[in-house]
Amino acid sequence: MTEIPKESKVDPRITKKLREIMGEKNATAAKHIRYAYSYDMSFVKPKLPDYVVMAETVEQIQELMRFANLEKIPVIPYTAGTNIGGLCIPERGGILLDLKKMNKIIKIDPESHYAVIEPGVSHGQLAEALYAHKLRFGWPVGPPSASVSSCAINHGIGGLNARYGLNSQEITSMEVVLPTGELVRVGSCAIVEDAWHSTLPLPKLDGLFKGWLGGTGIVTKLGIGVHPIPPFLKVFTVSCDNVEDMYSYMLNLSNYEICDDLTAVSWWLAQVPIPYPYREKPDEAPEWFSFANTNSFTQKEKEAREEIWEMVVDEEKKKGTSLKVTQYPEEALRARTQLPSQIVGSTKNYCKMAGAGISWPGTFTPANKWAPVYTEWKKLLIGHNLSPSVRMSMYRGVHYGMLRAMIPFNKQSADETENARRAIVECLKIDLDHGGIPYKPPVDFGQEINKRAHPGYLMLLRRVKQMLDPNDIMNPGKLAL
Amino acid sequence: MEWNISSLKDLEHYFWRCTACGTCRSAYDFGPPPFTRPICPAGTEFGFEGYYSSKGKAAFARGISDGSLTFDDPEFLEAVYKCTVCGGCQNQCQVDYKPHIPEVIEAMRREAVKSGAGPMPAQKNLVQSMKNYNNPYQGPRRVRMDWTRPFKKAKTPIKDINTEPAEVLFYVGCTGAFNKIAQAVPQATARIFQKLGVAFGILGESEVCCGSTAMRVGDAEEFKRVATNNLETFKTLHAEKGVKTIVTSCAGCFRAIKKDYILSSEYNQMMDGIEVLHTVQYLHRLLKEGKLKFEKELPWKVTYHDPCHTGRHLNKFRVDNDGSELWEGAYVSVDESECLYDLPREIIKAIPGVSFVEMDRIRGNSYCCGGGGGVMTGFTDWAGKNAGLRIQEGMETGAEKMVSICPFCYFNLTEGAKRISSNITLHDLTELIDLALPD
Ligand SMILES: Cc1cc2nc3c(=O)[nH]c(=O)nc-3n(C[C@H](O)[C@H](O)[C@H](O)COP(=O)(O)OP(=O)(O)OC[C@H]3O[C@@H](n4cnc5c(N)ncnc54)[C@H](O)[C@@H]3O)c2cc1C
Ligand code: SF4
Ligand code: SF4
Repeated sequence: MTEIPKESKVDPRITKKLREIMGEKNATAAKHIRYAYSYDMSFVKPKLPDYVVMAETVEQIQELMRFANLEKIPVIPYTAGTNIGGLCIPERGGILLDLKKMNKIIKIDPESHYAVIEPGVSHGQLAEALYAHKLRFGWPVGPPSASVSSCAINHGIGGLNARYGLNSQEITSMEVVLPTGELVRVGSCAIVEDAWHSTLPLPKLDGLFKGWLGGTGIVTKLGIGVHPIPPFLKVFTVSCDNVEDMYSYMLNLSNYEICDDLTAVSWWLAQVPIPYPYREKPDEAPEWFSFANTNSFTQKEKEAREEIWEMVVDEEKKKGTSLKVTQYPEEALRARTQLPSQIVGSTKNYCKMAGAGISWPGTFTPANKWAPVYTEWKKLLIGHNLSPSVRMSMYRGVHYGMLRAMIPFNKQSADETENARRAIVECLKIDLDHGGIPYKPPVDFGQEINKRAHPGYLMLLRRVKQMLDPNDIMNPGKLAL
Repeated sequence: MEWNISSLKDLEHYFWRCTACGTCRSAYDFGPPPFTRPICPAGTEFGFEGYYSSKGKAAFARGISDGSLTFDDPEFLEAVYKCTVCGGCQNQCQVDYKPHIPEVIEAMRREAVKSGAGPMPAQKNLVQSMKNYNNPYQGPRRVRMDWTRPFKKAKTPIKDINTEPAEVLFYVGCTGAFNKIAQAVPQATARIFQKLGVAFGILGESEVCCGSTAMRVGDAEEFKRVATNNLETFKTLHAEKGVKTIVTSCAGCFRAIKKDYILSSEYNQMMDGIEVLHTVQYLHRLLKEGKLKFEKELPWKVTYHDPCHTGRHLNKFRVDNDGSELWEGAYVSVDESECLYDLPREIIKAIPGVSFVEMDRIRGNSYCCGGGGGVMTGFTDWAGKNAGLRIQEGMETGAEKMVSICPFCYFNLTEGAKRISSNITLHDLTELIDLALPD
């Protein structure tokens, strides 16, 4: 059985004060509630928060932060806890701040193409509201009930990453409560109350709150760019027998920038679900599949994209690669192109065979390192009896992108969880040494990053954190500083 | 009679399949257009994880099984009962935990009862009443016949099946018999049967509660007692009174007989030659055979509320028990064909004059009225408040009537409508049918 979270001390005086600030029904120290927030699907060990509160207004959050600062109690922001990195598991107890009740879509500007949302707005909720204006956003292949803003502020990856960039690059403005309780704004909304269209050309202060894993402030409103839905969808699917050939194809195709998402997945990730424990791929099956989503406004535009794609396929074939135009497994394709998706959201395609656990070495890695890293990962993961279920995605206009191994495991067993953790951390080290950087890193990863970091980077990081959060109460410990 | 009712320990493997992804928190469909709505009444009301959906219930189950959470904490006890066991969450989940979700919730309650702490005080009264009176409403046996008074008065008495044989047993259920508002349901059912000349009878004062309520609140012993009694009665009625069909207008009774009674080792033997139907199924057959003919117009705008117990609770899950297909315990697929989604709608649409409109959350994603899982008794105020939310959704369609096929929903939604001062009125489908049939 996995570890049981250790009990912490609850101070009734603090509970009482939290009830005064958040409202009687919005604050608790009940063990069963704290227990429900003590774990997630990752290998990170469960730890109990001391209190759980739910916010309904910005003012409540401000007052909460002023109080927490005075008492030096940690505060951990939470929306759905699906980050796959234990990022909402309190390292040092404290107050778990659940923001899912703050779920208003404040504004959709269909003309200027942006939306303003509260942190509790889910992908499913926003997808429905945007669709009414024939607009879309880069939906991750994650749970439809998870938060749009939490994905974006932590450099989440959505299905439009090859066209518009990462979801954090879509952020146009922010309202944030600082760890000390002050309310700040960055981007155009800082200058004009209801203008949420751009973080530029002002100093890009949004960086103070992006990629910090909730360690520098609580985002209470977020402006994001949204985009029209082109009516003509075409998904190009190919397969290759080896990672080198797949890399060659993706590199070639990405030069033309015709895709919304250009992704390849190993045979193991293309299975619904990922085999657990490791199972050998049948000899006749290709090792890699790719789907390239394209969306066009006219039939002619679609045909032009097809022409480019066919040219790339011809070129790759002429090179003598193993590339074949193939069918992508049907359910797996639906899971990745019909987003947000309940198939992936409920982890059917990832965890169904393993049970309860999933973690990843999820990285941004130069594309020319994908093949060597994959080859090493594959050996290592198979050595741990885990499937090398790897994804590679090329980002917008560049030759680097996501390299990730989605590793399900049986979380009921402490041994199997530890086996997965070890393998994943080892994979991460290999990737870091090839120039990759993990996203949404659990503390184990943070330590590996920091070991390799330039001292000036760490100094700056500490200084910014100290400036914004002098008592180190915001999701402390997560950056492993 | 042996009963195969799982303990929490038996289900441990399954609640450990939950990944805490939270997909069960809302109903979602890709569409297009995409569709997202809250689906969990408990989460909607109480907000904290734990209360929310099957993710929260897996957390509670894990906490019980690792010893972190115990029922001597009254707040925890309450939390386990603050769930309508509606299965809305179950409808979203796609992993091996899915088929077992309501079972896990009820197994926790069985643990609570075993520990001496559960169920909730008001529910304890209800179970005690079952022991004393064979019904959960503390009604003396003779009161069970109150709903039949208009029939006696009209000199069209209903047959007592104990004395007069009949092919159809109309199993009334305690809510329809004892709840003043819900009495409209058996009355309409019996009037329809009489109008159509159906040879039916009732058990009258000797009817015994189906046991659904006891099962839902975790009292397996009391459930077994009444269920065993009923199975024996059904067998005798078949052998001695020629009963071939049991018809009930109560979604709770229907669910219990169809899904809970099959946990008995002797179910097949006891029920041999007997078919169990919800009234809607029975009448839909007659409609298709041309024997149910509507004559009167009902010029109403109507919406339909799918009860959980006649909807997704009737899902049939295919589980790979021996590992021959996928792996041991794998959830393979779900078969919705026994869920009563289309039949009531088809009947409503067949009634002249009715204009039918759908709410947003329907069929498998219907939003529970808030009355199930012992909540109407244990947390009456919350049940009514939640019903108000459902009524609100009905009002948004512009409907003036909300129709359903469950006396619990009927009563609770009526409370909800009062609570938000809505003009919507509640009707059981049998009432509409009765009104549309010639006198
Ligand atoms: C099966 C599966 C697939 C996934 N696929 C993807 C994918 O393709 N791309 C992707 O990007 N993600 C993916 N994810 C991860 C995750 O689902 C998304 O990033 C999601 O949108 C995060 O939202 P959340 O509500 O779960 O955030 P949480 O886990 O609740 O929070 C994430 C982090 O943000 C912090 N935080 C939360 N709210 C605030 C706030 N208001 N202010 C400051 N900090 C805050 C938290 O403290 C935490 O550090 C996947 C997850 C699963 C389970
Ligand atoms: S019950 Fe199913 S959908 Fe809900 S969190 Fe668990 S795995 Fe996800
Ligand atoms: S059964 Fe219904 S009330 Fe209970 S957790 Fe699931 S959705 Fe919520």
